[in-house]
Amino acid sequence: MKIGYFCSFTPKELIHSAGFLPYRIFATRRPISLASAYIQSYSCSQVRGAIEEALNGDFYGFVVTRSCDTLMRLTDILEFLGKRVHNIEFPTKIGNVGYYVRELREFLDVLKKWGGEISFEKILESIRLYRELEEKMKRLFDISANYDLAIRIQQIDVAEAIRLVDERLEKAKKETGRKVLITGSVCPYPEIYDIFRKAGFSVKDDICTGRRFFEFSYPSFEPKDIDGALRYIAEKYFRKAPCPTKHYEGDYRFEYVLNLAKDCDAVVFLLVKFCEPHFFDFPQLKERLEKMGKKVALIELEFPIASLEQVRTRVEALKEVIE
Amino acid sequence: MRKLKISEKMRNLMAGYYMLGHSAEFRAWVTSGAPVEILYAMDVYPVYPENHGALIGAAKLGSHYSDFAERMGFSRDLCSYARCDIGCVFAGTSPIGGLPKPSFLFACNNICNTVVKWYEVLSRIFKVPLFVLDMPFIRKELKEYHLLYVEEQLYDFIRFVEKLTGNPLDDSKLRNVAMRSVEAVKLYGDCLKMARYKPSPMTCFDAFINMAPIVCLRGTEYAVNFYREMKEELEERVKNGVSAIDNERIRLLWDNIPIWYRLRWLSEFFESKNACLVADTYTNAWTGFGTIKSTDVISSLAEVYTVSYLNIGIDRMVEIIKGLIEFYEVDGVVMHSNRSCKPYSFGQYEIQKKLNVPSVIIEADMVDERAFSEAQIATRLEAFLENL
Repeated sequence: MKIGYFCSFTPKELIHSAGFLPYRIFATRRPISLASAYIQSYSCSQVRGAIEEALNGDFYGFVVTRSCDTLMRLTDILEFLGKRVHNIEFPTKIGNVGYYVRELREFLDVLKKWGGEISFEKILESIRLYRELEEKMKRLFDISANYDLAIRIQQIDVAEAIRLVDERLEKAKKETGRKVLITGSVCPYPEIYDIFRKAGFSVKDDICTGRRFFEFSYPSFEPKDIDGALRYIAEKYFRKAPCPTKHYEGDYRFEYVLNLAKDCDAVVFLLVKFCEPHFFDFPQLKERLEKMGKKVALIELEFPIASLEQVRTRVEALKEVIE
Repeated sequence: MRKLKISEKMRNLMAGYYMLGHSAEFRAWVTSGAPVEILYAMDVYPVYPENHGALIGAAKLGSHYSDFAERMGFSRDLCSYARCDIGCVFAGTSPIGGLPKPSFLFACNNICNTVVKWYEVLSRIFKVPLFVLDMPFIRKELKEYHLLYVEEQLYDFIRFVEKLTGNPLDDSKLRNVAMRSVEAVKLYGDCLKMARYKPSPMTCFDAFINMAPIVCLRGTEYAVNFYREMKEELEERVKNGVSAIDNERIRLLWDNIPIWYRLRWLSEFFESKNACLVADTYTNAWTGFGTIKSTDVISSLAEVYTVSYLNIGIDRMVEIIKGLIEFYEVDGVVMHSNRSCKPYSFGQYEIQKKLNVPSVIIEADMVDERAFSEAQIATRLEAFLENL
């Protein structure tokens, strides 16, 4: 049974361990029509598209992890539509693990209520499987990013996903060409990245449908019981590649992106229109990147993407500038 | 619309408040739903960029100041309070000569997560520390561990301020400030409730115009005195049968932040249809801060501020709106779908379907006048009023 989720901070491990399929919902190629009756046109097309998907798909329930203000209201909107929903209050301020462990315990109760089976062994197994998937994805992306695959693995069983990544790892070849860092919100359109490659770039990303889905640093302890497992998951997600919807000590996200950009010639902000957290970061981050001598471009997207040609023109122009 | 005499006093009071900021030793820029009581108790002067944004909107200078931020790369889709505030920083001025520079920043996300990003931007510009008070969103039930999470942060915040200012918090001072806050909130609530009389002695436009003291001066004697006087004026009106508008025929409730640059247009429009907007969900939100307990200030601050109006689920918002509909005996609801305020606006379509009186949605923006289409809005409102 599919449990739809939206945010990459969602503890997929717990959903999976309870016997459900965690299935990440993206805006697809489906035009937005039904969603307009439930949310205003100035909400981002990721959420409008996700509502469209939610209304059309066969989901058992939905888990909305708090990140932005739009997702905060999405839970209620889905509930209004008669769906089975739960919202996880992931903290905005990264720091208090104990609080988030309590929130995860509540989530386990919800999964139980939804008919899920909870056991320490199963949670541990899911933690292990997801870690394997994430570490392999990281290895693959360090050789050559594969955005088709990155989307697919978020919508299938984790064991199957690991098999797919293994196959790709065998064939992966190092990318060459001027390196571009693509930073931004979600982009479930793999052809966007192909545009960069066709223009002669090799691609590195800080995207929620790419590296931010699988880049973690892991706690060093071995969980001994359910509480320990929840603590492990809480700490793991606190140390996920940083997202602008969170508040970190010492402007960690800026430092992280600047560090990623070091070996790149250009940085492209690939932002979904109306994505407030990213658009707030954009001007000051751009300024810092330019001070580092990077060429910076902004590409604003709305899903479904109406014209890839416009993106192609922008990318080719950027390539010419840095050549 | 018969203007309240108190509005003149409000202008003087707020001018004084802004003046004080320039001479204060420590200043914090603070969000409208933050527990300001702690700041007043620790002799930190609170500066309200949101109030500043409203003031810019009312002066019809929203797009002017926003432009300064937009030229620096801030998107026009961002919150217009934030754009104007950041724009004024770049412009180096504002209708009141700019806000005094902060010693530190205090953002509480019980009204939106926008403020976290906005204050991060400010923190980089001014190179001053930012304290984020992270409030869990209470979609259904408030749990003990939610409160504990907030309470711990309040103690962190006190230590943060103590370290910056060198002044320890005096518990009895905090208690006094908190009790003054409760008193002001109570009087303020009494003022708003005067609109239950038929015809109403006030409109929500009076509430909007006179809300600055409850936002900025909550916890001081100024707010207490101001709302005591406002209440007296309203009681006087009721006693003498003076109504806010002539021939009140329709009573309405307003939802969302005001359209600051069109207050006069809107009030005249409704008045010409003998419709009185007697109350609103926005100013009413501050009446919720009245249950701080003198015996346990910190934990009651945690509770009161966690369940603020925009930090609760749609079901509970519907309950509150229904309560207002009943209390003020309104015939309909006018909902401002505000491009600048996602947590306030998303969900309005659902809320609308759960109300037991007719409602209409108009799309605009609280400060950015470029998002206001007069002809479209007038047509919508006319059709709505005709059908009531």
